[in-house]
Order: sequence, then C-alpha cells, then structure tokens
Amino acid sequence: MARILKAREGQVTRSRISVDGAPDLDCDRRSVAGSVSQRACTFCGSRVVLYPIADALHLVHGPVGCAVYTWDIRGALSSGPQLHRLSFSTDLRERHVVFGGEQQLEASLVELIARHRPNAAFVYATCIVGVIGDDVDAVCRAVSGRTGIPVIPVRSEGFRGSKRDGYSAACRALESLVGTAPTDGVTAHSVNLLGDFNLAGEIWIIRDYLERLGVQVVANLTGDGRVADIRRAHGAALNLVQCSGSTVGLAEHLRERYGQPYLRVSYFGFEDMAEALYGVARHFKDPQMMLRAREIVAEGITEAMPVIRAVRPDLEGKRAAIYVGGAFKAVSLVRALRTLGMRTVMVGSQTGTAEDYRTLTALCDPGTVVVDDSNPLELASFLVEEDVDLFVGGVKERPVAYKLGVAFCDHNHERKIALEGFVGMANFAKEVHASVTSPVWQLTPRRRREPSPSPLPGAVR
Amino acid sequence: MRKVAIYGKGGIGKSTTTQNTVAGLSEMGKRVMVVGCDPKADSTRLLLGGLAQRSVLDTLRSEGEDIELADVRSPGFSNTLCVESGGPEPGVGCAGRGIITSINLLEQLGAYDASESLDYVFYDVLGDVVCGGFAMPIREGKAKEVYIVASGEMMAMYAANNICKGVRKFADAGGVRLGGIICNSRNVDNEHGLIDHFARKLGTQMIYFVPRDNDVQRAEIKRKTVIDWAPDCPQADHYRNLAKAIDGNDMFVIPQPMHTDELEGLLLEHGVLG
Repeated sequence: MARILKAREGQVTRSRISVDGAPDLDCDRRSVAGSVSQRACTFCGSRVVLYPIADALHLVHGPVGCAVYTWDIRGALSSGPQLHRLSFSTDLRERHVVFGGEQQLEASLVELIARHRPNAAFVYATCIVGVIGDDVDAVCRAVSGRTGIPVIPVRSEGFRGSKRDGYSAACRALESLVGTAPTDGVTAHSVNLLGDFNLAGEIWIIRDYLERLGVQVVANLTGDGRVADIRRAHGAALNLVQCSGSTVGLAEHLRERYGQPYLRVSYFGFEDMAEALYGVARHFKDPQMMLRAREIVAEGITEAMPVIRAVRPDLEGKRAAIYVGGAFKAVSLVRALRTLGMRTVMVGSQTGTAEDYRTLTALCDPGTVVVDDSNPLELASFLVEEDVDLFVGGVKERPVAYKLGVAFCDHNHERKIALEGFVGMANFAKEVHASVTSPVWQLTPRRRREPSPSPLPGAVR
Repeated sequence: MRKVAIYGKGGIGKSTTTQNTVAGLSEMGKRVMVVGCDPKADSTRLLLGGLAQRSVLDTLRSEGEDIELADVRSPGFSNTLCVESGGPEPGVGCAGRGIITSINLLEQLGAYDASESLDYVFYDVLGDVVCGGFAMPIREGKAKEVYIVASGEMMAMYAANNICKGVRKFADAGGVRLGGIICNSRNVDNEHGLIDHFARKLGTQMIYFVPRDNDVQRAEIKRKTVIDWAPDCPQADHYRNLAKAIDGNDMFVIPQPMHTDELEGLLLEHGVLG
C-alpha cells in the first residue's frame, strides 16, 4: 500500500459496491504538516479566479516573487484587451516592511492607472502586507476617489488559509463590483457564466451554444471577463456555475442579495454538456428552447462521435487516474473517460467537499481509490500500484506522471486546446489517445518489467 | 567588549537611566556606544543634547544601502557614541523588523569591530519584548547581559517578570544572562525591600536602588544627563555608583520567572496590594 501519513488516513478511501453506511471522506480541512500538499496558497487562489478579467489592472501588493510566480498563471484568453496578462507588483522591500507599504501602493496604483487606463483595479494583499498591517482598504478608497475607477482590495494574505480561502477572497472582491451599473438591455432569458476561465477559448464554445439556445450571456466570471459586464451581472436571470470550488460562494451571495438562482453545471463530456443545456432550457420553461437544446446536442455528438469511435478500440479497458483542483470536474472526467472506454482507478481533488466525494464514490467502480488533498508521494504510489495508463491532472501532477513513464493529459492552467463542449470531447479523445498510445511508454522501466534503478519510497511492486 | 541590553516597562525611565549610567561609565574612562532601539528615536537625547541625529533607518530610507558609519553614529557627552535605530511612524509598518534591519546594518558597517575599541555597547529597547524584532538584541548573542529597570509599582514588576521569560527563552541559544534589576524608585511604600525580594525570587539581584530626585527632570529639560548638568549633586553620585556596580558585576543568571499568583503574593506580603 501507499505510505499515507497517519493524520491523513481518513482522507483516502476506496469506493465499494454499496456506498450506504460508508463514512464520509475526511475533507475540507487544512493540509497536514509534513504532507507536501498540491494546493496553492490563499493569494494564489484569489489570483487564479480574478486574473482573467482582461480590462482590469491586477496589482500584487507584496514582494516581487508573489507576482512573478503567478504571472499569467492560466494563460486565460481574451477576445480584446490583454492587460490581465501582465503582472504588476509593488515590489515591497525591507524599507517598505519597516516603514509601511501604503505610500508605495498608492504611487504604483496612480502610475499604472494613468498609464494603462484600466476599467477597474484589483489589489491583492500578500502575507507581508497582512503582517505589517498596511491599510489596503483605505488606499484603495482614496485612489478610487482620485481616479474614478473601482479599486478593489482582495484580502488574500497567503497565511489566512488554503487556496480555497483565496477563492472566497476573490468572490468577496467580485461581490463589490456586481450591482454597480444599470442593467438596461438585459433580457429575461439571460445568464452569467461563473467558474469558467477561458484557458483555451472554452467560454467562446459555451457562449455560442447559449446564443443558439436564445440565451443572452451578460457576464463571464471571469474567463474573457470585462469590468462593465460584471458591474451589471446582477441583472441576469440565472447564474451557471462551473468549477464548484471557486465561484459557488459568489453564486450563493448573488442569490441572497439579488434573488438570482444558480445552476451547477459542467461543460465537460457529452453527458454533462448536454445536461447543462437541458438544465438551462428547463429553467426558462421554454419548449422551443428545449428543442433547440436537443438540436445542439444531436449535432455536437454527431460531429464528435467519429473521433470517439476511432480512438475507443485502442483505449478500451485502459486504466486512468485523476487528480484535479475541484471535485466537480473530477466527476465529469470519470464520465468522459468512460465514454472513451477507460476505467478510473484513482480519483482525487484538492478542494472537494463531503458531498462531492459521495458523488464520486457512488459513480466510480468498486475499488477505485478516492483521495482528498493528496501529495506527490501518495500520487506516485497510487499510479504504480494501480498500474495506471493515463494520469489527468494539472501542472503540478505532470512531472509525477512523466517521471513514472505514465501518459498525461493536462486539464488545468496549461491547456492550449479547449476540452469543453462537444468539440472539446473530441479534442480530449484525440489528446488522450495520442498520449496513451505513444510508443515511448514501452521504453520505460515500468513497462519493460525491469526493476527501476531508484525504487520509489513507499511504492509496492 | 561588554554587550548590555536595558529592558523595562514603558515609561519606567529606561532611557534616562541608561544615559545617566553611560555618562558615569564614560567618566570612568570607558568607551561606550549606545544603540537606541525605539522608533521614537529618543534614547540618546541627553547624551547628544537634543534629537538632531539622523536614525539608521531614516538614513537607509533616504540614502539607500550606501551608508557610512559616520552617517548614523554621532559623538555624545564625554566621548560616548550614539546611534538611533529609528523606525516607522505610529500605526504603520513594522518597528520590530526595523530593529533587526538596523542592527544588521550596524554590524555590516563595522560598528562593533575591534578597531572601534569599545568597552561597552548598550541597547536601550522600548517597553516589553512585544515581538521577535524587539528580542533581536538578546538573540544570537548580540547582548550578553540584560538589566531590567523596574519600580515597586505592580505593572512595572509584571513587565519585568515577563521580560525574564524572554531572557530565559533566549538564554540557551544566544547565551544571554540577567545581570540584575535596577530599581528606579517611584517612592512606593517598602519599595527597597520589595524589589530586593522580587529580584532574589527571580534568582538575580537588585543591582542598585536609584532614589527619586527632581534633579533628573531638571537635567532632562536641559537635554543633559545629571552628571553633565550638575556633576556635584547627590543624584549624579547615585548614577556613578550604578555605573560602578554594573562595571564590577559578576552575577549573571538565567532568571526564574514567577507565576502570576506568586508575584501577587509577593506584593501582598510587602503590603502593596490589599
């Protein structure tokens, strides 16, 4: 068995034939000391949520490293302005720590707003700012008054918690922007898209489907996002929430504040994509819209199916592992891999809730490893023990897979080809097939059945 | 070179006592540097005859890293050397980090080098050991002996007891020891006996009892130490005696801080409480 820290034993389980009476997975808690969590810090969590807003200035108030290591972290695409892809920092030095960084923050904001003319500015508070007690709120208010644009503090001091707390900080910042502009021109059949970050143009695929349904998209939160759209987002009739971890808090707030209902959706895989469109049509209780949804689904699957059929024989029965940020995405991935004939033997997430894991354990085949807030050592052990053919994860999982000679599919920040929608499912099939069937894996020690030159600690052969 | 840190409750008279004692040591022919570790930068006013000096951190802020020792160190009364660490305005930044930055810089600039032929360096540290920054002088062996200024007032003794916890914490790593309690009298009843007993309970000594005398205030108004302002007055001799006591001190201990009830019991016993 994989070596699991004692304090983490409750965070790993195997799904069984019946889930009735099985205890919930221990999750939604702070990472255990000694376990090198795949999670990022609070600041990083808020940064990844907000930064795709393309016409806003994103200023990181802290030492330069915080800005450098999150520079263009997702490569989120914009159909217009590219300001978000720059990384600005107040570059706090020792003298700012001693004397306070407020003056530097104000000077940086004034200079950058004059130079780039953004429609809003987000100021991210990092650890050091929290320790020295800069009054970031007061500086933001003052500069907002002077420049006439919203200047929004993001309370994302890294030590405040985990990446998930950063999501909350980002949602609080967005809440202060929503509701600050009139909603003229927003129709009765309108939605906001929450929790899609347009890493490879996904949001354009989804907007196209929705427009064909006859639904107006008011604001993207935040992929290819625009300040003016977000300011009037409270006018939309419905919020569609993807990526459960990051923006469901915002959806809850909007429901309470403006009475906007929300629908949790996923645009990944045939089943979930179709269900998202049907859900919208059901919400608006429009039979014509439902007919159009069926047409879009039929057309999309018809176009994508030849690709699935072509790759499926090679992938049938192959074993997959999934480790992603939000558990909702993991659910879609299990289904999508099934469409390709593959079986998920390990699935986990950084920020899943007990409910998410109940869904996953019910969905997966008995015996599947289910894990919360894992670490590289555990993940490596699972890949070896379960004799995995494909690992689906993000940038931090990639080296784990490649070092063990396992095929890898990036499903996070570094995507350049969209995986959402029906066309995205075809792209996913092609990419998985190309990686799994690559002859290079036959040359790895694991496949040659020879002992590895440096045995992995904790791994069982 | 003996490295001394003076701690004590805010307002107890640390800076006044330190400067008057340093004046006494200097009169004895010792070469002494005083490093003020208070953002207010008022620890060397009596030795310098005013607050004119630029602090280390102000200089660092305006000039950058390219600083000479002479930019931040000024000659004071009777061949003393005076440095003020300085720090931020109240309510901003981090004064504790300021002290760390400042002492590191003084080391880089060679302020403690053998070529400076110092007999003593005195760190005059603000109030309590509120955070890691204010513990800087007693960490890493920067100061080897600590004197705590206290009076018979309850809060002053609470603070002194707390500071002993800080000294104890760094005793192993930095080698710092408590040299004694300096009683700066507030004319509290039974003060001499109380502080003497208090010091012994902590495992140390009352190294000197400085009586209250308004000559100290008169000298302060003139921006002078008592020894400078009225060398022949009785209070000047008290500071000379304190300087001699420190110079001849050989009792350096790891203090045994008291529990609060124990401390309050001591106050009851000497008739301060109740």
